[in-house]
Amino acid sequence: MCRGGRMFAPTKIWRRWHRKININLKRYAVVSAISASAIPSLVMARGHRIESVPELPLVISDSAEGVEKTSTAIKVLKQIGAYADVEKAKDSQAIRTGKGKMRNRRYVSRKGPLIVYVTEGAKLVKAFRNIPGVEIANADRLNLLKLAPGGHLGRFVIWTKSAFEKLDSIYGTLDKSSEKKKGYVLPRPKMVNTDLARIINSDEVQSVVKPIKKDVKRAPLKKNPLKNLNAMLKLNPYAKTARIMSLLAEAQRVKAKKEKLDKKRKPISKEEAAAIKSAGKAWYQTMISDSDYTEFENFTKWLGVSQ
Amino acid sequence: MATVPGQLIWEIVKKNNCFLVKEFGRGNAGVQFSKESNNLYNLNSYKHSGLSNKKTVTIQSVGKDQSVLLATSKTKKQNKPESLLHKSVMRKEFPRMAKAVVNQVADNYYRPDLKKAALARLSAVHRSLKVAKSGVKKRNRQAVKIRGRK
Repeated sequence: MCRGGRMFAPTKIWRRWHRKININLKRYAVVSAISASAIPSLVMARGHRIESVPELPLVISDSAEGVEKTSTAIKVLKQIGAYADVEKAKDSQAIRTGKGKMRNRRYVSRKGPLIVYVTEGAKLVKAFRNIPGVEIANADRLNLLKLAPGGHLGRFVIWTKSAFEKLDSIYGTLDKSSEKKKGYVLPRPKMVNTDLARIINSDEVQSVVKPIKKDVKRAPLKKNPLKNLNAMLKLNPYAKTARIMSLLAEAQRVKAKKEKLDKKRKPISKEEAAAIKSAGKAWYQTMISDSDYTEFENFTKWLGVSQ
Repeated sequence: MATVPGQLIWEIVKKNNCFLVKEFGRGNAGVQFSKESNNLYNLNSYKHSGLSNKKTVTIQSVGKDQSVLLATSKTKKQNKPESLLHKSVMRKEFPRMAKAVVNQVADNYYRPDLKKAALARLSAVHRSLKVAKSGVKKRNRQAVKIRGRK
């Protein structure tokens, strides 16, 4: 039997190849891409070298449609400052990384300018098509994949004069509906005025806004009441007198103890010693001569003491 | 164009543009840098962005050493990239260049919030030009004798 097994997830022809996208969405996308191509920031952000382009959107005269030779085409691009982008595309030609190399996708390069013309069969197509990076499109058939390659808005587009003027009739204006696309009007922007700084600083907004808090209140450092007397007093004012009392009592105690010790440690005078001794003797006499005791008789007998 | 280089452009461009550099951070894109020429701190942020501001300042070194290019963008020419920048090449001693930068950026109320950034960049560029001129610091090639070890 033959070995080898089968491929993982064999590709089937009933893969869902087609996607249905609403025609309005498709037109929205194309229209957004065209407007993004007019903003230098977005075109630069996409990576095109447009530092020496005189104006954006770049519109050249219709005589460019009659250009026959590629060499003159290059001259035209140099004159309008678009050649830097072409050079970038040319320098970026490289062999693709990964298996795509052996799957008929051997080379990759950056995208250069997109040239839009009007008249069918213009010579310009043949002249410009061999320049690396440059693509051409007819104004009637603008391809979203070329206007926003990779899904990134802001392709560098070079229009011929009539192509640029034709845009109005194809897509309409904000007031007029399109002639070529039945019932289509350009989409309205979500925000009419997007200049946030201007809106925030406008009279209408500033008149209703609360004033700025200039002095920001910061939380003070927490001080330990057990260590910091003033922090303690803030919480418990009686602590001051309590502490004074305790200090005084402590001083008193110390003094009393000292006196007591001094007294004990001082050698006593003769009179005092004699007085203590006689007091002791007298007390002993009272102990042995106490007549309230009931069995006093027996007591005296075995004690053998006489009064 | 009647566009608003500003918040709108920034929202489109901040996450994805050809100048964005996201490599730096601890296993994440902690700091995002930007390689635009009109960005003074090279940070990817709205304030410093050269793409989404009408008024930008740039300070670069020009080919010949010791000369610094100061350029500000003109607000009326936003859709004419060729004539967008007002360039001036400076070849003076540092204090005078610094004064010129401050005059152009802050004192005429152009972008007073970029004053520190402009001066910082001027110092950095100037220093790099000095280093480029005098060569990288030479290490001492004489073998250092370590006493007490064989």
